Amino acid sequence: MKGYRKYFGKKILWFLITLIVAVILNFVLPRLMPADPVAAITGKMAQGMTDASAVQEIYKRYEQEFGTNKSITEQFFIFVRNILRGDMGTSFSQYPRKVSDIISSAIGWTICLQLPAILVGWLLGNLLGAIAAYIRKGFDKVLLPISLFLSNVPAFGMAVILLVIFGVTLKVAPIAGGYAFDMIPNFSWRFIRSVITHYQLPFWSIVLVSIGGQAVGMRSMSIYELNADYVKYARFLGIKDRKIVGYVFRNAMLPQVTGLALSIGTMIGGALVAEIIFSYPGLGSTMYAAVTAADYPLISATTLIITIMVLVVTFLLDIVYGFIDPRVKAAQFDI
Amino acid sequence: MKNTLRQVFHAPKFVTGFVIFVLILLTMFIYPLVNPGNPLEMIGVGTFAKPGIYVSMYDATNTSMETLRLPDADDKRLDKLLSQTDRVSMIDWFDATGVDITGLDLSDTDTLLTLWNANYDPTVKPKGMTQAKRNYFKRLDASIKQINASDTLIVSDQAEDGTLTEVRTISKTDYVNTSQVANVKALPLGTDNFGRDVLKELVSAAGTSIQIGLIAGAVATLIGLTLGLLAGYVGGTCDDIIMFITNIFTVIPGFVLLILISYSIGQEQRGASVVAAVIGLTSWTWTARSVRSQVISLRNRDHVNLSKLSGHSLVRIILTDILPYIASYVVMAFILQVSSGILSEAQLSLLGLGPKTTEVPTLGLMMNWAMLYSAHTNGSWWAYFPVILTITLISFSLNLMNTGLDQVFNPTLRD
Amino acid sequence: MGKIMLEVKNLKTKYVTRFHEDVYAVDGVSFRIEEGKSLGVAGESGCGKSTLALSMMGYYFPPLHYISGDIIIDGTNISGMKPDDVRKNILGTEIAYIPQAAMNALNPTQRIIRFVTDVIRAHDPKADKKEIRERAEARFAELGLPRDVLDKHAVELSGGMKQRTVIAVSTILSPKVLIADEPSSALDVTSQKMVIKMMRELMEKGYIKSMLFITHELPLLYNVTDDIMVMYAGQIVEKGTAREMVFDPVHPYSHGLMGSILVPEEGTRGSKLTAIPGTPPNLKKPPQGCRFAERCKFARPECRYQAIPETDFGDGRMYRCLLGVDQLKEEYSHE
Repeated sequence: MKGYRKYFGKKILWFLITLIVAVILNFVLPRLMPADPVAAITGKMAQGMTDASAVQEIYKRYEQEFGTNKSITEQFFIFVRNILRGDMGTSFSQYPRKVSDIISSAIGWTICLQLPAILVGWLLGNLLGAIAAYIRKGFDKVLLPISLFLSNVPAFGMAVILLVIFGVTLKVAPIAGGYAFDMIPNFSWRFIRSVITHYQLPFWSIVLVSIGGQAVGMRSMSIYELNADYVKYARFLGIKDRKIVGYVFRNAMLPQVTGLALSIGTMIGGALVAEIIFSYPGLGSTMYAAVTAADYPLISATTLIITIMVLVVTFLLDIVYGFIDPRVKAAQFDI
Repeated sequence: MKNTLRQVFHAPKFVTGFVIFVLILLTMFIYPLVNPGNPLEMIGVGTFAKPGIYVSMYDATNTSMETLRLPDADDKRLDKLLSQTDRVSMIDWFDATGVDITGLDLSDTDTLLTLWNANYDPTVKPKGMTQAKRNYFKRLDASIKQINASDTLIVSDQAEDGTLTEVRTISKTDYVNTSQVANVKALPLGTDNFGRDVLKELVSAAGTSIQIGLIAGAVATLIGLTLGLLAGYVGGTCDDIIMFITNIFTVIPGFVLLILISYSIGQEQRGASVVAAVIGLTSWTWTARSVRSQVISLRNRDHVNLSKLSGHSLVRIILTDILPYIASYVVMAFILQVSSGILSEAQLSLLGLGPKTTEVPTLGLMMNWAMLYSAHTNGSWWAYFPVILTITLISFSLNLMNTGLDQVFNPTLRD
Repeated sequence: MGKIMLEVKNLKTKYVTRFHEDVYAVDGVSFRIEEGKSLGVAGESGCGKSTLALSMMGYYFPPLHYISGDIIIDGTNISGMKPDDVRKNILGTEIAYIPQAAMNALNPTQRIIRFVTDVIRAHDPKADKKEIRERAEARFAELGLPRDVLDKHAVELSGGMKQRTVIAVSTILSPKVLIADEPSSALDVTSQKMVIKMMRELMEKGYIKSMLFITHELPLLYNVTDDIMVMYAGQIVEKGTAREMVFDPVHPYSHGLMGSILVPEEGTRGSKLTAIPGTPPNLKKPPQGCRFAERCKFARPECRYQAIPETDFGDGRMYRCLLGVDQLKEEYSHE
């Protein structure tokens, strides 16, 4: 039990350290901007204004909003304090909406879309990879190149292709949004059905893309395991192939959990862009809108939230992995 | 070395990937020679001209003509003039006015026209049909009448005072040879939203994107290699510090950093090479990790110890005793970095954070433009599909090469 | 003469490489083991010892292929049986195997008891879980293994403990023949001793009825087995009792092999350590005549192309050389 505690302690410590670094980066990077951001934003806001004192007024207001008139350390502490309070400032493009308000209405969509999609893609990919590894000859020859090819279709490309085939040409699914545009979110059946139909295309485009990569990884892993000594040994003790295949897939699958943890950052990047293609009301589209409108507070908040989400998922997967794979237990807990 | 190369070029996966990649590269070099000019030149005034061969109508009417009597010419003309939607609309009219159309074939233009001429009456107001719809049928009728119009067209020159002088009569049986026409332009992939030649743009964009991938890959590999070598070979505190940083940046998504940095740099400063360098800066962690673990396993080999005892310098040991042994891994990592660099650029551009849009096209920018102008919803597949295919092919070929190398250097994965 | 537990007649198997070349790794091997006896197999690495062990199981999977010959276990010829029948009725119960690298022979993510259960159920699907546990506990205790090993994962055991566990699991169904491929080579001296002691106990307590012990460590064979045979390039070159083989080898290869070791017993010729120069022949194209001729100090020109007869002394002793015993003895005396 002591081993477990030590393992978790270590993991939690790492989680906190990365979180702090992420927050610092999120704070520092935009402030490395060569130009004065406030001036730039003021310029944008004050377009067409001739009254110098009014422009000055706007400049002052943003300086206040940003706190750029204070020292950098002071700014940082204000930044951290505001984050802890859940206050991330006011959006420029959707003024006077609060950034935290916009984020909280988007985050649910992203989580509900991406988490299941990535998980389903992971499961299906592993299954296919395992089958490819087991059957090898023939099937493998067809499945592997297809998986390799599929895994190289960028997420946004898959999104566009699905959208054109099913949304535009076959018209079996809506092409944009998270629900029909004439509806107001509520708990009626009509609304839920609308959400589900809008869910299909973004969901499957993310699933399809993650299948390919996972299948290729799982195949190599399974082949490696199929050649392991314990397979030969178990065969020589008369154990049925079906049972042995079970051992192999369990062993190959477990490291794939870590694989998922490590690739989730990359996958999210692709999936966010897929959201933009479908104008899905999640963080990807929010970020896109923010970038287009040069809405600095919103960009900063979105990137921070995405980082935190990735960190949390990675942390959880690490913990789960520690529990289910005795190899890690032996390696980590006794140290 | 020679032996390794021979082995590599006998791995079918590597060879397939290599051939695809080389073909792409060759296209990039050869196509601009065939079709020179600025890829960003807006040749079309409208948006999204369809792929095909464009013949100048002006020149065509001034080209000498031959008379050809083709038996199916009329039918073809009819088919082209009467679209599928028009035909369905005609059926709608027949339905609404109670014309018996049992056994009517939509592709049977003759019967359709006979029926139409016999039954259409602009004064009839079928029940439930809107005014707009009735007007549509009037227009349809007018264009159908045109099909039956006279056999000749007159081309005339307009003088300044407005008088028309007949220049030429064109009859239905007049043909020009396309090779005789002064201006014929082939646009195999049509034009994009700005009226630019998509194929020319695509070839140039693929080149830029590969360059971005190469720069990003080189930057990432260089950083990763240096850090990995230092951490693995020097060890101790140096290793601890480097691994601390590496671990942190493994978990913090590189994509997010990329967005933050790109945004901070600002649109004006963001040239293609700057974007490439930033992508490289945010994706070195994998290389650092794998190089480090390789170096650690090499560190205590006999030949390294021997070099140490002979008093060779750190640089020399790394160059002669370590690097050659990890070279294959570094090359594989580099290939993967190149392919992910190209993908990152595309994603960044789709977010609106790609390279400055006025200098060179990149695959990501082309995709971004196509999406901004809704090429995907208005059926202009040529504006986005070739881009997706190119990105996929480039990264597919690179990954195939990587898998092939992996199978050569990791025998357990062999088939 | 005791009951014959294992008889192998003219067994031939081959490997098929990636490039579809045949490697004749076991090329016409014959021998027999009586009840309660053990036979050692010695030879350089690559001489076909390990392949012999795999070939004995009557259960072939690529790249190993059966060509011809018989394997008769307690009167039953298993070489003509269907793979499925072999797996079900022979492996584990009649013949069992201890692999070369026991370190990796156990599935790392499975508890030992689960594996034992799988082994027993492979032959008796209805076996009761509780009975299996009792049986395993009893056998483990009998062989001096701690009871809690059963509830551990392989990764949690030390090297020596893993090897002993593998031996205990392999023999849990009391097979008639045990094939041990270098069971102690990778271990430290103490663990080695415990493993050897365990192998003796298995025989004494009747858990196994005969044993084929493969190793490259000759002194070990002298201490463990009753008889020894020496393999070279896929063939047996000499066979005899342990004492005969160590103190009075006839074949030039065995002579060289024994000469290259130190046997800590009085009267041995350990004073002179000689290594045999050269490398074994390429088994893709075995030489026509004597396979050892290339490296043999006493080779005559005809050795290279003439078929080499086996000289059988009738009491289980044989050797394969063109030269007579007297000729050879004469040659050795000049050394």
